[in-house]
Amino acid sequence: MKQKVIVIGGGIIGTSIAYYLSKNEVDVTLFESKDIAAGSSGSCDRAIMIQSKKPGPTLDLALKSAEMYKTLELELEEDLEYRKGGGMILIENEFELEVIQEMVERQNQAGLDVSIISGEDAREKVPLLSKSIIASTWWSEDAEINPMGTAFAFARAAQKRNAKMELNYIVQGFLIENGRVVGVKANNENFYADGVVVCTGVWTKSLLQSINIDVPIVPRKGEILVTERLPKVIDCNILSGSYIASKLQKGNDNPYGIGLAIGQTKSGTLLIGGSREFVGFDSSTNSTVIREIAKRAVQAFPFLKNVNLIRTFSGLRPFTPDNLPILGEIPSVEGLFIAAGHEGDGIALAPITGKLMAEIICGQNTDFDMEPFSIQRFANMKI
Amino acid sequence: MSDIIICRCEGVRLHEILASIEDGANSVQGIKKRCRVGMGYCQGRTCQPVIREVLINKLGSNPIDRTSKIQSPIRPVLLRDL
Repeated sequence: MKQKVIVIGGGIIGTSIAYYLSKNEVDVTLFESKDIAAGSSGSCDRAIMIQSKKPGPTLDLALKSAEMYKTLELELEEDLEYRKGGGMILIENEFELEVIQEMVERQNQAGLDVSIISGEDAREKVPLLSKSIIASTWWSEDAEINPMGTAFAFARAAQKRNAKMELNYIVQGFLIENGRVVGVKANNENFYADGVVVCTGVWTKSLLQSINIDVPIVPRKGEILVTERLPKVIDCNILSGSYIASKLQKGNDNPYGIGLAIGQTKSGTLLIGGSREFVGFDSSTNSTVIREIAKRAVQAFPFLKNVNLIRTFSGLRPFTPDNLPILGEIPSVEGLFIAAGHEGDGIALAPITGKLMAEIICGQNTDFDMEPFSIQRFANMKI
Repeated sequence: MSDIIICRCEGVRLHEILASIEDGANSVQGIKKRCRVGMGYCQGRTCQPVIREVLINKLGSNPIDRTSKIQSPIRPVLLRDL
């Protein structure tokens, strides 16, 4: 008989896992409380930016994932708006140059051939860039993708392999017998399976609390601006040096965690981020933050002052205290797995997360050290 | 009929909206995320009522009436004027 697995959560992580499980001949049912990509995966930007990731386990995962993205459109037989246009981190002053130089050295040691180019060379690649930019990094391997489109494509590809997508199903709890998960309760009905995998991002903590498993995932809000459609003006992923600083920052001198991240969608709109705030599940947009992001964007791209903002949105990113996702089996309950807590790396890491989790759930050997991602690392932590 | 344009800003036609519902969309947001309806310059101000009607028509008195979230700005604004 086929192995039966329930996936909880229809974001890009859940749909990716559902797809790779269905590829492994597993009988998959995915439960989603609303709709595919209705949460964080549908309220983020489109960057698969690798050069900004810290060397270590996340970067290793991201590199494998980036390789998978190159052929994913072919594999899923859909247009995912994938484009490997490269990426740059803008440098505005000598201080940033120093910080970024150190970062680039670390990336080079980790095997990424990121380079620092002059302001003139940066403007050659992106002509509308401000003259005030003194230099930038450049890495040709950074790419972009439509995150919602990718989640839908994973879901459809899984359905083609007979996975079931149960939308509007709210999982209320787990069915546990003798320390082993045997299914879930959803919409007041019991569903049985050999294994259950929890891919509920920022909502993971409350779901697993029902069986006394503490998961230190906290929502971190990010706000994004959308402009009117423009002709192709930006052909790569762009971050500001201050974005890198805010990513790592814990102090109070940048309370909204603002740093510029900008890219252009296939339709021509610009997505301009971003911010990083711990404000619980409040997903409203804040005019102070929006104004501040707009100011940074106009500084880097003066032409933007004459461009219309048509929308703002925010998304909740699943933050973990050590900035690594939680991937693998939950040791205290047999048959229960977790794949959550990717924060802003969920899109970049989706394909490799799906593949590795499918291997783990099917009891296969993974060719990757999963130890750094184990939930056990938090066992002794005061949460 | 299935070729009439519902969302002028993004050039989305009725058959794309029907296909999105077929694909599992059960809300304005769900349709929007699948085919870009209402994502353009007017942010669904014209087409959202039509989409809601199509949803009610297709899914009946479905309790899910999630409409597109109201977000600032309420009308397009130049970035320099923010």
